[in-house]
Amino acid sequence: MSKSFICIVCPVGCHIDVDDNGNITGNRCKRGLEYVKTELTAPKRIITTTAKTIFKDIPRVSVKTDIAVPKELIYKIMDEINATVIDKPMKIGDVLIENVLDTGANIILTKSCQIQGVV
Amino acid sequence: MRKEIIVVGGGASGLAAALAAKKEGRDVLLIEREDRLGGILNQCIHNGFGLQVFKEEYTGPEYADKYIQEFLQSDIPYYLDTTVTNVDKLDDGFEITFSSTKTGMKKIQADALIMSTGCYERTRGSIIMPGDRPYGVITAGSAQRYLNIDGYMVGKNVFILGSGDIGLIMARRMHLEGANVLGVAELMPYSNGLTRNIVQCLNDFDIPLFLSHTVTQVNANKNQRLESIIIQQVDKSFKPIEGTEKKFEVDTLLLSIGLIPDITLLDNLEVEKDNRTKSVKINQSYQTSVPGIFICGNSLQVHDLVDNVSLESERAGKCASKYVLSKKIERKTVNIIAGNNLLFVTPHYIDFASEAKNVVFQFRSKTKIAKSMLKISQKDNEIKSKRINYVVPAEMESISIPLEEFNDLDDVVLDLEVL
Amino acid sequence: MYDYVVIGAGIVGSFIARELSKYDLKALVVEKENDVANVQTLANSAILHSGHNPKPNTLKSRLCLLGNKMYNDVEKELNIQILRSGAFVVAHGESEEKQLAELVETTKQNNVTEYELLSYEEAVKTEPNLAKSVTQVLSLPTTGVIYPWEVAFACMENAIVNGVEFRKNAEVTNLIKDSGTFKITINDKDIVESKYVINATGVNTDDIAEMLEKHVDFKITPRKGEYFVLDKRVKGFVNHVLYPLPTNKGKGVLLTPQVHGNILVGPDSKFVDDKYRTDNTNSGLGYVKENASLLADNIPFNQIIRSFAGIRATSTKEDFIIEESKEIKGLYHTAGIDSPGLTAAPAIAEYLVNEIMMVQDKYDTSKDFDPIRKKLPEFHSLPEEKQRELIKQDSRYANIICKCEKITEKEIVDAINGPLGSNSIKGIKKRTRAGAGLCQGGYCEEKVYKLIARETNSSPLDIVYDSQKSNLFVSETKVKK
Repeated sequence: MSKSFICIVCPVGCHIDVDDNGNITGNRCKRGLEYVKTELTAPKRIITTTAKTIFKDIPRVSVKTDIAVPKELIYKIMDEINATVIDKPMKIGDVLIENVLDTGANIILTKSCQIQGVV
Repeated sequence: MRKEIIVVGGGASGLAAALAAKKEGRDVLLIEREDRLGGILNQCIHNGFGLQVFKEEYTGPEYADKYIQEFLQSDIPYYLDTTVTNVDKLDDGFEITFSSTKTGMKKIQADALIMSTGCYERTRGSIIMPGDRPYGVITAGSAQRYLNIDGYMVGKNVFILGSGDIGLIMARRMHLEGANVLGVAELMPYSNGLTRNIVQCLNDFDIPLFLSHTVTQVNANKNQRLESIIIQQVDKSFKPIEGTEKKFEVDTLLLSIGLIPDITLLDNLEVEKDNRTKSVKINQSYQTSVPGIFICGNSLQVHDLVDNVSLESERAGKCASKYVLSKKIERKTVNIIAGNNLLFVTPHYIDFASEAKNVVFQFRSKTKIAKSMLKISQKDNEIKSKRINYVVPAEMESISIPLEEFNDLDDVVLDLEVL
Repeated sequence: MYDYVVIGAGIVGSFIARELSKYDLKALVVEKENDVANVQTLANSAILHSGHNPKPNTLKSRLCLLGNKMYNDVEKELNIQILRSGAFVVAHGESEEKQLAELVETTKQNNVTEYELLSYEEAVKTEPNLAKSVTQVLSLPTTGVIYPWEVAFACMENAIVNGVEFRKNAEVTNLIKDSGTFKITINDKDIVESKYVINATGVNTDDIAEMLEKHVDFKITPRKGEYFVLDKRVKGFVNHVLYPLPTNKGKGVLLTPQVHGNILVGPDSKFVDDKYRTDNTNSGLGYVKENASLLADNIPFNQIIRSFAGIRATSTKEDFIIEESKEIKGLYHTAGIDSPGLTAAPAIAEYLVNEIMMVQDKYDTSKDFDPIRKKLPEFHSLPEEKQRELIKQDSRYANIICKCEKITEKEIVDAINGPLGSNSIKGIKKRTRAGAGLCQGGYCEEKVYKLIARETNSSPLDIVYDSQKSNLFVSETKVKK
């Protein structure tokens, strides 16, 4: 099945096409080729979202995966994060969920939540 | 009470400017109207920040934290939850009125003022969008705050007008939080956001982008809630084309239709304005036409990368510090003019008496140009030319040139020529 | 059992309520919206007309002139703001000057005594942006501008303080008269009984009449008008209300300085089928832009902060309808109240109560009636000394919530908790102007909803923008489905 991509490695933004036989065209440099190969085989993304807390003044705290995770796991990882509640003060960089869904990625806080005011 | 420098605003710009001024040894006070430092970065929980400044990729709150930690360690005094309500010009500086529940109404004098007041979002009111005026038509930034900080969803079925970065980022956020994002419409034939955001926020989740489209009808239900919108393709003069109507049943329309520098605090002062940036004019030291008032960050010009805000504000903080020491206000200036294919350029004039010995030009192109040549000239004298590939309006470009390369007689013109 | 039930809490219903509160009687006002002044009173030109324009010897002519004068007392008693700007009716060239001369005759016949014809040169001295194409001007110095919502709130607040009851979100769904008593069904549920009923429902006056009358002899033919609002930074661009010459469609597109410094541009005038459809159209707003430029040069359209549309409750009869129903004794109509209804409102109320209903013959005057409505401080407009004093009394005056209009936490809390308090974002905006400025609530809406939640002890999920069902949020994030 043919597919098209916009390369995001640099600002040029090449439109790269892949035909049914796997031929890649439209890239102007090697990095574009690598980008499309990864996108075709194992696309990965960093997830950034929020997690619920019990703190009235900070009802949500921003979190992220510390490394990129397989794209197809985005929704499942969102479910994992959504099912977690922060119930104690934590600092930026602290791990909320370790090795989420065996991806090797941790869910870490991108902001401290240390304000008093428990509901 | 008197300070050498007062910084208004504790976001990315204010933090960097205050830190820079403090490093120059100045006596600084920072005033922030929200209950926390970091400004808009607090709600920009996505990543992509810091590649220039820290050579690493951070989320907004992480990027802010770097500066906040340094700021807290620097012992610069600051007020939170405090609004500056007035700025008066004195013979030898300024008097600022500020107000908060803790302090009441207070006045403080300063030699110089750095405006790091950020920007506000264009609303539905400033564009003509035919139809009802229901609730559910919300600026993307407001929705982002409600979603990321307060934890509330503004709607279930969402359409987004404007493909600026906030619009794209919100498309992904609303989608990941379970909303049904039906599409993004962009009036221009190209997106106003970064390509990576088109790919990672829209394409990843099969959210369609309608280029050269706009919303031409807004319909409310009985409860004054948005019920549906109609979008239409537009021609080259942005007129809707009949027969291209598409209807979307949505309860929410997010607007990502532009940001406007917030300079309302300068209303009472006669500061020279720039209609293009919708802010004020500055020289190469970020000084406005009122000596002692400096401006930087999104209140000077709306940036696409926070890194540039920090770097620019650092320069402004340094320049303000030098001004406080010398108080030089003799003016020997030439104008800087945005020529061919440029939307705007800052600064607006070069002041040869200023101690800023480099001129950092920042500009945006009017259209997407694949191969272009930037030419900086004074009359027939070409001072610099530089090839720039893939210029787009969404990405601000910059170039730094030593002051000594300019003569103090002729206007400086920047042209972007298509190759 | 009530003596009077007033249906509708627009400016007319509010003035009637206040007029009734001067007597020893039991009165109730019911309003279908979630706030006073939410339909026609919400969206109009806000002008106190001098009375120059209506057809002579009509109720419109008589009550407009009288109403304009009555506002002097209303201003003092209810502490409302009036901008006595005066008005210029402009003429371009000879043929329009002839029409202007005719308008002067009408002005005289309407007993408007203060007027003056000015040349362009004379007029431009006080109106520097007057269009250069203007050749002559009719100056009408008694013309003014009010803040219509404020007037309605003030009347209703004063009426409530003087014993009138008020119910919002109360739609009359049925109305019958049974053995001399009116039975008024509210929201298909409660039934309220009353001796008399006053129909002050603006665009719905014919619908209400039809609930009881077999042959309603008037029909509301709604006319929509579209407007632009310019930011208050344009204050001083025009100093007078600028009118074109009137036509059979009305007073035309105007430029109107507002009480708070904004300038209103509009309206156009279109008959519409739907009483509730206050949408903006390209053609309507385009017409407004085009015609406004006949009044002033270089109008700063780049300062538009909002566009809106309002509905006028024009009826099939030319004049105001202020009368007892011809079929049903004890039912009174105030219908067809389009322009100059805002100006005439206090006079309409007095005329209805004292000349049509003869309330003074039926009930004693109330000994406790207090005509004065105390106005809460508008913090930002006070001198600094007074501001400091207020902050000393209550530190919440030092907390600026709306940055554009400089509205404080204390003012918002008062607007939530006052005698006519509101729990909606729009209600707070109407009372305090929080969110009415340059950023249109982009900054303060979040702070206002949190204050409403705090003061009313409710969840943010229950906070509404306007009507009871216009919730700001549909759900929390991170909740299990």
